[in-house]
Amino acid sequence: MQRDYYDLLGGGALAALGLGVAAYSGAHYDFGTLRQMGPGFFPVGLGLLLAGLGLIVAVPAWRRQTEARPFDLPEAAAALGAILVFALTMNRLGLILGTALAVLIATLPAARPGALWRLVLAGVVTVLVWLVFKVALAMTIPLWPWSA
Amino acid sequence: MFDGLMQGLATALHPSVLIYSLFGVFLGTFVGVLPGIGAMATISLLLPLTYYISPEAALVMLAGVYYGSQYGGAVASILLRLPGTPQSAVTSLDGYPMARDGRAGLALFTSMISSFTGSMLGILVLVVLAGWLADLATKFGAADYAAMMILGLVAAATVGSDSPAKSLAMVVLGLLLGCIGTDVNTGTQRLTFGWAELMDGINLVALAMGLFGVSEVIANIRKADRHGPPGKVKFRQMLPTGAQMRQIIPPALRGTAVGSFFGALPGTGSTISSFLSYALERRIARQPERFGHGAIEGVAAPEAANNSASITAFVPTLTLGIPGDPIMALMLGALIIHGIQPGPMMLEARPEMFWGLVVSFGIGNLFLLILNLPLIGIWVSMLRIPFRWLYPAILIFVCLGVYSVRGSTFDLVMVAGIGAVGYLLALARFNPALLLLGFVLGPLIEVNLRRAMLIARGDPMVFLERPIAAVFIIAAAGLLAMSLWQAIGRRQSRP
Repeated sequence: MQRDYYDLLGGGALAALGLGVAAYSGAHYDFGTLRQMGPGFFPVGLGLLLAGLGLIVAVPAWRRQTEARPFDLPEAAAALGAILVFALTMNRLGLILGTALAVLIATLPAARPGALWRLVLAGVVTVLVWLVFKVALAMTIPLWPWSA
Repeated sequence: MFDGLMQGLATALHPSVLIYSLFGVFLGTFVGVLPGIGAMATISLLLPLTYYISPEAALVMLAGVYYGSQYGGAVASILLRLPGTPQSAVTSLDGYPMARDGRAGLALFTSMISSFTGSMLGILVLVVLAGWLADLATKFGAADYAAMMILGLVAAATVGSDSPAKSLAMVVLGLLLGCIGTDVNTGTQRLTFGWAELMDGINLVALAMGLFGVSEVIANIRKADRHGPPGKVKFRQMLPTGAQMRQIIPPALRGTAVGSFFGALPGTGSTISSFLSYALERRIARQPERFGHGAIEGVAAPEAANNSASITAFVPTLTLGIPGDPIMALMLGALIIHGIQPGPMMLEARPEMFWGLVVSFGIGNLFLLILNLPLIGIWVSMLRIPFRWLYPAILIFVCLGVYSVRGSTFDLVMVAGIGAVGYLLALARFNPALLLLGFVLGPLIEVNLRRAMLIARGDPMVFLERPIAAVFIIAAAGLLAMSLWQAIGRRQSRP
């Protein structure tokens, strides 16, 4: 058991975000009137509402206990890293190398050790992606570094 | 109506539509069976692919994924106590004990026949209600639309929610994200911080995939492979006796009634319906203590409810253009991609669309029942595929799906960022589905609210003077008051 940091931090972050958005929008966009609402009306109103709700979530959490839940940092880093690497490489290295590289990064935290199944999986997924997106859907993405 | 049905048959049986319908229900069952990827992620993944096919085929396919996943979701719930989809979570309460008692076959049969009953009766409700509501909707003004959407959001956040404050915060965050981009009335760039890529707002597909696809993958990499192998289920074990059939049908019908009602209301969808129908069964049972220990009603009612709700959820989506739940929001997105704006006029302007969908529901559900009973062994063996073989491919498909929308790698970076936020939100038990609902409804609410206030010369009383709007606003206020009252009650009962 530990203090309910999830609601405390989550609610706090939402409250801060709401206040920030309300302040920024209030400074930059015209609020207008009830009859003729300006572009600032919604962001300011919603930002303040979010700040209030965030506080309602965060404040009682200070005195509440909850069970700790695992935070899968390696898994999150691998999945997000795979997406970012794919985004950066797909138009430079092409679909084939980009896919294989991203799959290899994504499999890093998977439970079973061994390089062979990772390579096999990368190969299988790459062929699948090539068949679906290039052969079947004819998307305009370069296949290889030299076809870019 | 007969003409419509004929037109629908012609649309739904057209080979190009039929194939996508069958593909949709098959894929839906598949992702429903697999824990770790649900209908939400699959539909957002398929959304970009619908550019390449006709709008009828697209809608029929996405709908097939949705109700197909309801059939599949029960399989993992019953056999592993791991809900394949959130809608089937409640099924595991009694389905899993049944499987432990050696009644896995009966539990699976119950879930399928109840799903089928719920869907088929749900189709009838859809046809009747849609016609009626489309007439009524022609009388709707801007204030009524805004009030109805506000009720939808409030209902989604408060009904059946453990923490209405957290749910409402997600709705408001969604509404705020919906503000990003060009303001339609004045052309002001709002909250774009100079990024040209954000001028059209956050891409719906990127948001849905980040919140559901990516964050579900992260949460399941470690979790999903930690279950034992499922037991074997044979077709012959599934067939019930006459007495068992008589035990299944009444709760399935009650579940259908609950599901049809809450599905058709904007804001409450199939997940809430399944929980409410389970609660109803337990309340009216002669021996409520049987629940949680393998009561057959505890499988029949929620499965009927979630399937009928997934059909009747199309009522507000198609007749009012207001998506009742986040999955309907994606369906609406698919239609808008094709330049079709659902609303009261759609039934008259595009009857083949509506009736084609209705007929495809019938065909798809029949197909699911006929296919799934004998093929149950195959679906069960799917549960043996380790998640680590699947998720790298899911990630790449997410990337290419998002990229295909407008060929922008900026959107891929967005997906990674939204995925990180989505994972943190899920970890802190904030419901990302409500965020998406707010995001989709936000711009619609803003446009209607501004129009209503302009017409009423800035007098907010218009929301209580128009009878339709007043009903919605009073209902929304009532829901808020009720959840406030419950929260105070909970605090006082605590020592």
